[in-house]
Amino acid sequence: MRAYVTNEAEQPEGGLTSESRFLELAHFEGLRSLALVGLSKNAGKTTCLNHLIRTWEKSGISRPLALTSIGRDGEEEDVVNGQPKPRIFVHSGTYLATARSSLSRCDALLNILALSGIRTNFGEVVICKALSDGYVELAGPSQAADLLACENLLREQDPDLFFVVDGALSRRAQAGGGLTQALVLAVGAETSANPEELAEVTAHALSLLNIPALDAIIAMRIQDLLKNQPGLRVVALPQANEAAVQTLALPSLVGQAKAIAGVLEGNPGTLMLRGALTDTLCKSLLAEKRFRNFTLAVEDGTRLFISPGILRKLNHQGIQLAALYPLSIQMVCLNPFKSDGTPADRAALLNALRHITAIPVEDFGPTPL
Amino acid sequence: MTIYLNDAEAKLVGLDEIIAQCHCRCPQGNHLKAYRHFYDPTEKGELQEELDAIAALIALLNTTPGAAIDAQRLLSQLRELRGTFHGVENERLLDDTEFFELKKGIAIFNQLADLKELTRAANVRLAVLDEAERLLDPTGTGAQGFYIYTAYSAKLGQIRKNKRELEGRLESSSGTARQELLKNRNLINAEEDEEEEHVRRELGIRLLHWIPQLRANLEACGWLDFRLARAELALKWQAQKPKLLSADEPAEIADAWHPLVKAALQKSGADFTLHSIRLEKGATIITGANMGGKSVALQTCFLTLALTQLAYFPPCRALKTPLYDFLSFSAGESGDFKLGLSSFGMEALQIRDDFHRSQLKRGLVVMDEPCRGTNPSEATAIIQALCQAYALSQSSLLMATHYKVVPEQGLRFYRIKGIRQAGLESLRSVSGLKDTELIRQIQQLMDFHLEEVDGSHPHPSAAIQIAALLGMDIELIQAMQKLWQEEKWQK
Repeated sequence: MRAYVTNEAEQPEGGLTSESRFLELAHFEGLRSLALVGLSKNAGKTTCLNHLIRTWEKSGISRPLALTSIGRDGEEEDVVNGQPKPRIFVHSGTYLATARSSLSRCDALLNILALSGIRTNFGEVVICKALSDGYVELAGPSQAADLLACENLLREQDPDLFFVVDGALSRRAQAGGGLTQALVLAVGAETSANPEELAEVTAHALSLLNIPALDAIIAMRIQDLLKNQPGLRVVALPQANEAAVQTLALPSLVGQAKAIAGVLEGNPGTLMLRGALTDTLCKSLLAEKRFRNFTLAVEDGTRLFISPGILRKLNHQGIQLAALYPLSIQMVCLNPFKSDGTPADRAALLNALRHITAIPVEDFGPTPL
Repeated sequence: MTIYLNDAEAKLVGLDEIIAQCHCRCPQGNHLKAYRHFYDPTEKGELQEELDAIAALIALLNTTPGAAIDAQRLLSQLRELRGTFHGVENERLLDDTEFFELKKGIAIFNQLADLKELTRAANVRLAVLDEAERLLDPTGTGAQGFYIYTAYSAKLGQIRKNKRELEGRLESSSGTARQELLKNRNLINAEEDEEEEHVRRELGIRLLHWIPQLRANLEACGWLDFRLARAELALKWQAQKPKLLSADEPAEIADAWHPLVKAALQKSGADFTLHSIRLEKGATIITGANMGGKSVALQTCFLTLALTQLAYFPPCRALKTPLYDFLSFSAGESGDFKLGLSSFGMEALQIRDDFHRSQLKRGLVVMDEPCRGTNPSEATAIIQALCQAYALSQSSLLMATHYKVVPEQGLRFYRIKGIRQAGLESLRSVSGLKDTELIRQIQQLMDFHLEEVDGSHPHPSAAIQIAALLGMDIELIQAMQKLWQEEKWQK
């Protein structure tokens, strides 16, 4: 198999962590929502989701799982390269938010409970509950507000459910940040089979995902503003409390460096940018002389797409990054195979990754097909 | 028969924006709203029923709003089901989502049918479809969800039982045994799909029987929704039910307002004026000084009559009107420089078409300052001739103009009262105001009320006075006044 799946229920071998320890290591207790994000394609995100589903079922936890995806997941073949992909196998009692056209590709018996009114390329998102075990295909919304609407519809069915989003760590993913409380990061040898290189890339990704929380009072003020004006992309809070807040409502942040620089005239203490913060945008902003010595806030770490060099320059200018909704990273899961099936040195990769973070880094192995 | 308005004039009148304030909850209600059925004189009975239903709903909203809130909650959950009905009629296999939509739709119909007082007031009939509801809830649990229930087919029950047993074995299997079980699972899935398809087909055939009633219920929901939304709008505006008259009677509008103008004025803290007018067959001419509000008066009158014939309660204290075959509004500035068409050319076309229509049918034609860019002596002749021609027709012309119209048989005159001279002195002594504030202050001095006059009244004039108030060069003003006095003397 090229993807991280196997026909066999494999026994743990060198370096593998027993699947039974998944929940114990991931510490999901008390969490309401989780995103699974991959550092690249074939990072093992779906395999990780399958481990979660299997161990959740075996653990006997009474809270039901509710699954959705940003984009499409669980299909039999990769739409880009035609390679077989791990499919998502759910158990009876699991809730799903998936598109209408995906329903016919699910072989679990699904009870349709609500229609969300949210349209995707694969049809309207449908809220349903599995009445039997079986394979499902997830195709959820790509807009943050729609994802939130799906979570609300799911919670109408069961307020205690554990909402799991098969996410995407890509600037192309339109869904914004602040959507889940926690995440599991999947990394694969596809990014690099060289342990040091993979560790370096992962360390950078973790440093972005792990940015500290914005000051609680400032965060509340920004959340209030965003609640009343959902179209806001830029919020500049002055250092002094009594000074006026400046805001900009823009369709996106792309190409808006000049407009953003305009609000820096007031020497803000905090600049909140809502959307993807990229190298290109940062470079343009760094050229502005007032772009220094303040806190630069984003919704959460998944909105940062900046290289280590740019991160250093931001630090050098006295700019501290902070998250409106801080994320808790529960675990890093490794897929030691490249997409062409070539295995990398699992033990060396795990060793290098464990050196850069205190978060559990595990390889639970492939899930049975 | 319809309402004639081009895009620019529609924007001036604000009909789209006003109709957008009517909030329907379901797609069927929104279709009816968007269709904008214009009730012509042959449909007076239907329009009367429509207005009666809205009035009954207003009474209900005032006394027992709970039923209306329940109905709107249910209507907001109703989906566009016509595609599904069509699918059933064409023996297309419905998918689970469509069955779910149907099940939910039927439940909504049945719950709405229970709101008897409301449906009676709205004059809609909803058939209770208990049997259809049971068909899509074969276990009788009242659960809202839908799937192809095992209860539909014993064979399906057996297939699913086999599948569950196999999956139990799959969990603990490995190697070739697991491969074999996976293959078997695929075979069982195929069997399950086949039997589910069979059930879907059966369900479709059984549902076919209820399609006429389902269609009728869906349509009734649309009317209920649209009537409720118009009742809500009437309550919001405190609008009154119009009285429909026979064709030979004059329209009478009492204390009408334009909701958009009213909202804008209230926002800026200014007063708004109510307009009253009587429109007989023939021509009614409104004169008035610049800034006197002639355009708003025309738009308000047109709007109240248009809304009445679209079966909305018009924003006024009282309105009596015959039904016109058509309504037309022109603001005389419809030239399109992008197409290279002259404004007079376009205006002349509209005057031609309106006149042609008014000879064949009984219409109300509203013109705001026609020929405003034409040489005054020629324009005066055009306007006088138009008034004479309409005076002889079955139609009504309502026109605002600065040109002098000589009184004749079949012509009636209204005048906007204009500047309150009493307030002028205080404004003359004020200085240092911003231009926009100055204009606002002058507007405050205006009395926008319409008063009927006999046509021999002095021609309203305030343009030079306003120019002086706005601080135009004093020598220039004096020259203007001198020339104006000479012209009046010559006449």
